[in-house]
Amino acid sequence: MAAAAPAAEVRPRAATAPGPSRLVTALLVLPAGLWYLFLLVLPIAIVLLFSVGNRGETGGYAGGFTLDNYQGAFRNSGPFVTSLYLAIAGTLLCLLIGLPLAYFIATRGGRRKTLFIILLVVPFWTSFLIRTYAWLILLGRDGLAGVGVDLTGNDAFRLLGTDAAVLLGLTYGYLPLMVFPLYVTLERMDRTLVEASKDLGAGRWATFRQVTLPIALPGLITGSILVFIPMMGEYVVPQILGYGQTFTIGSALVLRFLEFRDWPAGSAMAVGLIFIMFVTITFYLWFTNRGRRGREQSVV
Amino acid sequence: MADQGIGEHLQHIGETRVSRRGFLAASGFTAMSAYLAACGGGGSAPALFMYNWADYVDLDNIAEFKKRFNISDANFTYDTYPSNEELFAKLQGGATGQYDICCPTAEWTPALVEEGFLEKIDWSKVPNAKYINPQFKGLWWDPNDEYQLPKDWGTTGISMRTKVVTEDVRTWKDFFDIAPKYSGRIVIVDSPGDVFTAPLKALGYSLNSVVPEELEQARELLMGLAPHVLALNSDTYEEPMKTEEAVLGLTWTGGIDELISDPSTADTKYVIPEDGTLYWMDTWVILKGAPHLEMAHNWLNFIHEPEIQARETETNAYATPNDEAKKYIDPAILADTTIFVPQEVVDSGLLEAAKDVSLDPLRQEIWEQFKSSIGG
Repeated sequence: MAAAAPAAEVRPRAATAPGPSRLVTALLVLPAGLWYLFLLVLPIAIVLLFSVGNRGETGGYAGGFTLDNYQGAFRNSGPFVTSLYLAIAGTLLCLLIGLPLAYFIATRGGRRKTLFIILLVVPFWTSFLIRTYAWLILLGRDGLAGVGVDLTGNDAFRLLGTDAAVLLGLTYGYLPLMVFPLYVTLERMDRTLVEASKDLGAGRWATFRQVTLPIALPGLITGSILVFIPMMGEYVVPQILGYGQTFTIGSALVLRFLEFRDWPAGSAMAVGLIFIMFVTITFYLWFTNRGRRGREQSVV
Repeated sequence: MADQGIGEHLQHIGETRVSRRGFLAASGFTAMSAYLAACGGGGSAPALFMYNWADYVDLDNIAEFKKRFNISDANFTYDTYPSNEELFAKLQGGATGQYDICCPTAEWTPALVEEGFLEKIDWSKVPNAKYINPQFKGLWWDPNDEYQLPKDWGTTGISMRTKVVTEDVRTWKDFFDIAPKYSGRIVIVDSPGDVFTAPLKALGYSLNSVVPEELEQARELLMGLAPHVLALNSDTYEEPMKTEEAVLGLTWTGGIDELISDPSTADTKYVIPEDGTLYWMDTWVILKGAPHLEMAHNWLNFIHEPEIQARETETNAYATPNDEAKKYIDPAILADTTIFVPQEVVDSGLLEAAKDVSLDPLRQEIWEQFKSSIGG
């Protein structure tokens, strides 16, 4: 699913040059093409097909054509709203933490840049699931929540099973995906532009808004999409750190496929998820591009 | 546990003696490892591919079996699933032919048979089946005893830390009554069949009811309970009970008996509700298209050898249906009423066997509403 958005950007352009170079292009594109065909296009086609089918007698998929699944999938908008809220809040948090961090590493990192980048990557050496379980201990009664109990004197004080814990887990898990693209764009930024801006009388804020931010924008957009998409479909973090109290689309999908054995209902919901992500991301790209055009015009 | 490392904690989650509802992650490796094992297995070398709940077979017994039947490590696989629902979904997704045996809860057997997933057991190869108490034979799950060999059984009930929960809780009705008082400190297994037991039994109905009026009343009770629930947790419900994060639970006995025997949590209590509850039985079945049919039968026979079976009971801490094995079980475990339900309870008819009603649309709707409302 995470590949859905970049797919549009990565789509190979047809080679215009004749002869052997066309063959080379075809060969270069072949692995990615097969990948997208078999692991993106085909699965989505299957999901679409299942989403209009009927459930089998003992579960699974039994063919046919009906739109009831879509009616059922959207009857309760709760999970969609929860996921959207978590993904947006998580993306904003990643941005709030990631932008200053990337800016710091890119501009003030000096000789330690590589070290900082390695430190960012280190958590990825351990599985995401294990790291999430680790938070279970840190936030649990023997950890922070225990301190909370002592401080507040409230014996029922807890962090696990709250939206805050889920947001923390999401932000922690996906932050590097926000930092890397931001770092890359900021690292390549021509520092003399900032100096020029200051020479021309712009203050820190104006320089940031009119020089640094527009330059960082491509990284910001990539980073936001990279963290937004997995957060939208996230299942593990709400399940483990949220104790399942935060009922996301991921939870609803698992419920349909693995508990209700209702593949068509699950597929319809998955299509709904893809649709919502598509709309959100299109709107986001349109909005940020519009902003960029607007600013460029105002500067000119 | 403050002084425990992360590794130790994870290991604990993975190895908890009695938690048969295993680790979320384990299931991800299943298909792949079976495939690899199949590749490495090489023709007719003795082998057995098992698909089971996590940590549900004694490791010494596995070692003994491998030794006795000359099976190399690579040719014995033990893959895991966390719920019957997922086992079924994986089989529907095409996992048949990869495994020899698995271990569903008995009420799933009819559906598995209907889907054609199971092989009939050749009883002439499983003489040790004679030790199974007749009480566990010819049940509606498998009326002619064709497909399943009982593994172990247990109950769903109320567990509590009596140090905090001071009320005398005896029934499901009590459970619902005191729930608001312990709001946010109640843990419940993530299993619809077990959860529906509580309201339906409190109302005096069958726990398998699919009667709309009865289910609507159950919905009311469940939705009244939902805001007070801390978590739905089948894998490690004993963990929050241990730290007193949760003090009241709708649970199985696995893990709870560990708390009871640990001095620091000995105030833990498990109650079989007097308004009746569910009893479950897990069973060994052979999968259709099993690559090692002969070895699968060998396993079924091996595991019910009285001494081997006694070791199973001591490891898993669930009651055995094998009468002969009881002679070899540690008397302390045999006397533990959490594990072995007292005979008078069995005779009183308090226990009702579960049917597979998981596909009933109204139940599904209520379950989703409940599940998405916990914690308020």
